[in-house]
Amino acid sequence: MTSPHPLPPAEPAEEAVLLSDVYSFLALSMRYPDAHFLDDQFLEAFAALLESLELKPQLEEFLLWRADSADPLEELQLEYTRLFINSVPCSTVPPYASVYLDGDRTIQGKTTEKTKDFYLSCGFDVIDSTEPPDHLQHELDFLAALTRESRFEEEELFLATLFRPWFAQFFEKCMHEARHPFYRVSIQLIDFFTKEEQ
Amino acid sequence: MAINLTRRRFLQTASIAAASVPLSKVVAKADSEVVKTPLIPPGSFKDTETVVGGVCEMCFWRCQLVGKVRDGRLVKIEGNPKSIDNGASICARGNAGIKMLYDPDRLKYPLKNVGKRGAPQWKRISWDEALDTCASKLKAVVDEHGPESLAIFPHGASASYPFHFFEHTVGTPNVSEASFFQCRGIRDMAYVATIDKPPGENVDMPNSKVIFLLGGHFGENVHVSHLKRYLKGLENGAKLVVVDPRFSASAAKADVWVPIRPGTDTAMLLAMMNYLIQNDKHAADFIEEYGEGFEEFSEGIKEWTLERAAAECDIPAAQIKEVADLLAANAPNVAIHPGRHVSWYGNDFQRQRALACLTGVLGAFGVKGAFVPPKGPKGLKKVKWPHGDHEPDRLTEYSDNPYEFSPPGTPTDLIRDAAISGKPYPIKGCVIWGQNPIQTIPNQEKTIQMLAQMDFVMCTDIMPTDITMFADILLPEASYLERYDYIKTGTQWNFSDEHQQYIAPRMPLVDPAFERKDGIWITNEIARRMGYGDQIPTKDQVEMVNYRLSGVGLSIDKIRAEGGIHLQPGKDPYGIPEDMSVYFYNEDLADADYPAIPTYIPVEQPPAGYLRLLYGRSPVHTFNRTQNNAWLMAAMDSTPIWLNDKVAAKLGLKDGDTVSLENQDGVKSRTTAPIKVTPGIREDAVYIYHGFGSMNPELTVGYNKGIDDQSMITKLAVDPETGCHGMRNNFVKLVKVS
Repeated sequence: MTSPHPLPPAEPAEEAVLLSDVYSFLALSMRYPDAHFLDDQFLEAFAALLESLELKPQLEEFLLWRADSADPLEELQLEYTRLFINSVPCSTVPPYASVYLDGDRTIQGKTTEKTKDFYLSCGFDVIDSTEPPDHLQHELDFLAALTRESRFEEEELFLATLFRPWFAQFFEKCMHEARHPFYRVSIQLIDFFTKEEQ
Repeated sequence: MAINLTRRRFLQTASIAAASVPLSKVVAKADSEVVKTPLIPPGSFKDTETVVGGVCEMCFWRCQLVGKVRDGRLVKIEGNPKSIDNGASICARGNAGIKMLYDPDRLKYPLKNVGKRGAPQWKRISWDEALDTCASKLKAVVDEHGPESLAIFPHGASASYPFHFFEHTVGTPNVSEASFFQCRGIRDMAYVATIDKPPGENVDMPNSKVIFLLGGHFGENVHVSHLKRYLKGLENGAKLVVVDPRFSASAAKADVWVPIRPGTDTAMLLAMMNYLIQNDKHAADFIEEYGEGFEEFSEGIKEWTLERAAAECDIPAAQIKEVADLLAANAPNVAIHPGRHVSWYGNDFQRQRALACLTGVLGAFGVKGAFVPPKGPKGLKKVKWPHGDHEPDRLTEYSDNPYEFSPPGTPTDLIRDAAISGKPYPIKGCVIWGQNPIQTIPNQEKTIQMLAQMDFVMCTDIMPTDITMFADILLPEASYLERYDYIKTGTQWNFSDEHQQYIAPRMPLVDPAFERKDGIWITNEIARRMGYGDQIPTKDQVEMVNYRLSGVGLSIDKIRAEGGIHLQPGKDPYGIPEDMSVYFYNEDLADADYPAIPTYIPVEQPPAGYLRLLYGRSPVHTFNRTQNNAWLMAAMDSTPIWLNDKVAAKLGLKDGDTVSLENQDGVKSRTTAPIKVTPGIREDAVYIYHGFGSMNPELTVGYNKGIDDQSMITKLAVDPETGCHGMRNNFVKLVKVS
């Protein structure tokens, strides 16, 4: 992607909504694929995001896959299961912060508790989910909720203290294990939108 | 991927505009699970609450627990201080239950295998799809081939309800529980044939003058209240006799260690009894009153002189005499331990009969320090699946050997052989619930052949295991820390203390995470879908436990309010029931053409160049169940191979060398292990821990750690009376790797 020619800056509020939408969208990409959200509209939005980032090779690969795939939902479900739930041979990369930060791999560790506390201290909670609060999907949804209210300081604090420390390890493992263009690119997009501004 | 912009700069550009509308449309219809809640200031104090009612199942001794829980997260497990069984003590495994609970490799969602059995490719599916598939596939098998075409391999407390559904209501007799056919079933049936009841481990060790262990390796085998009894007995001055080819943890505490030749234990027992009888050191009065067929018995074992047994057992005659005299001098206050895992050599029913008879010869029933069953609480109701009209067609009817003293179910090899051959009838559906038959049943190749020809294989478990790789549908179960099911009952561990009874129903310490479900719910949903909805005996796990407790006027709420354990006055366990009999000669055995008195049946000895493979327990593991537990594997993650020092010298091996194993059939171990060179094992055997070397790579911690002893047990031995396996008749040689 090259730098676009100068344009008037977006309004901060508009920026916040955009960023929030991006976070929400990426959170969806980390949710187990389900027909009620993973449809043509979703996949087209994914393509539009790649296009807007001028990620041409990734876009081409993605479009090629869509054209070839008889059942995109089934394919993504299989890849999600392989990458994030169970697989033989073991290529699972658990999408939970505590697995990376709490020593000897654990779900529902101290980090899970700290993450939930952070949500609560910002006035949010995770409800009706089968996944723990430090699942990548929930962390991205939380970032979406914060940025929608332009709470960028809290966003940065969360990213710095609770998100990046584990995501960096997760990212590395995912890039090693992920085969499907959708997940390879999604993980890189999450990295792009959450890394520290230089 | 290179994005040559910062996020901020990107958001400020017009290029995002192309994506913003589609993005906002997609996210607008998505329901986020992160929602607004009242603000809770940082640093708000959270209590750690003590949750009562835990009953452990890291092993099957089932110690009573409490959990320290903070904000729904179990942070520590402790013994329930109200317990009169394990008390506040729990073992390493009990403590490490937390690592099982929060293991990221645990099964979380129902999975469908879209790959092959043994090389699965998993797809997460909904519970509805999983249950519909299980029910329709199992029903199709039953409709086409009859109920007997289902084979059930259950294990553990939560497996009882489902397997009773398949056994009683659907109507298949083809159930093989590892706890019976590869463990203690032989013991139970041998004692039933001798004293009319299964023995448990009911010896009054704290008050015993001599404790006699045949293969028992307490300290490596850790069951908390059982160990307390054993150690209290030693503390009180009991003499300890340990008969074991290996210098085990118990042998290290023994007054007499008998390093017997493997497989010959019955010969030693017969010689001891013959010596006692011939020298009038037996309990004549007890035998007169309670013995049946003693004359035939004493006549029949006359040939077993000390010298003959000594030659057979490769131990000094004087040592057999010493043990017999020690027991006689202290009888009847001696504890002849019945053992627990006894499926060793395929001649085990006879050995277990001999142990029960030795107890009778010494009159060691019902008195202090002897065999004394506890008098626990009575009156709990039962929840039962109704029996269907179908008269089961039993494989034993077609077998050359009817295995008339089989424990409940059907001998494993009859099921497996029928499945592989299709004769006498096909077995095409398989339900595996909490058992890992790859590691419990010898000859893995045959087990895999059995699975390969099935129309449908369903597994329910808490972890991926070797067997779950062969499932078509894999269901994630709530663990013992997340469900109700079992009700543990018993008495105070030391009969010298005030007599008390306890009732401790298992209660969840935390809610099940992900989409794990309890076995009652899973079974009911499958039963409903198979057309048995009107026969479901209980609505859910809470109703089941409350119904059972109502028989003694209790409820879950009441016991929870009492601290998770209900205590009530107990009864003096000592004394001999009036109707007690000890069948030294058993007519039923005679009628079935089995030896009517305990009889020694020799087993094959190792061929030249090979050593007998013995296996046992690691103190911090429960076989394969704990193989992925990070804490327990940090403590012990391999299977050091005990090798006699003289043999090691001859083979040019030294302590710490890494070897693989190759058995008499040319089967090679998949993995390697280090050698432990020691004088503490006979020259004709090696010893490793059972349960290691998992072949499932989904186990991040346990995969391929240590050697899977079961993979080396290919030559089958089946106990003729019971149909249970003997698993110590295989021989290995060591191949140095490094």
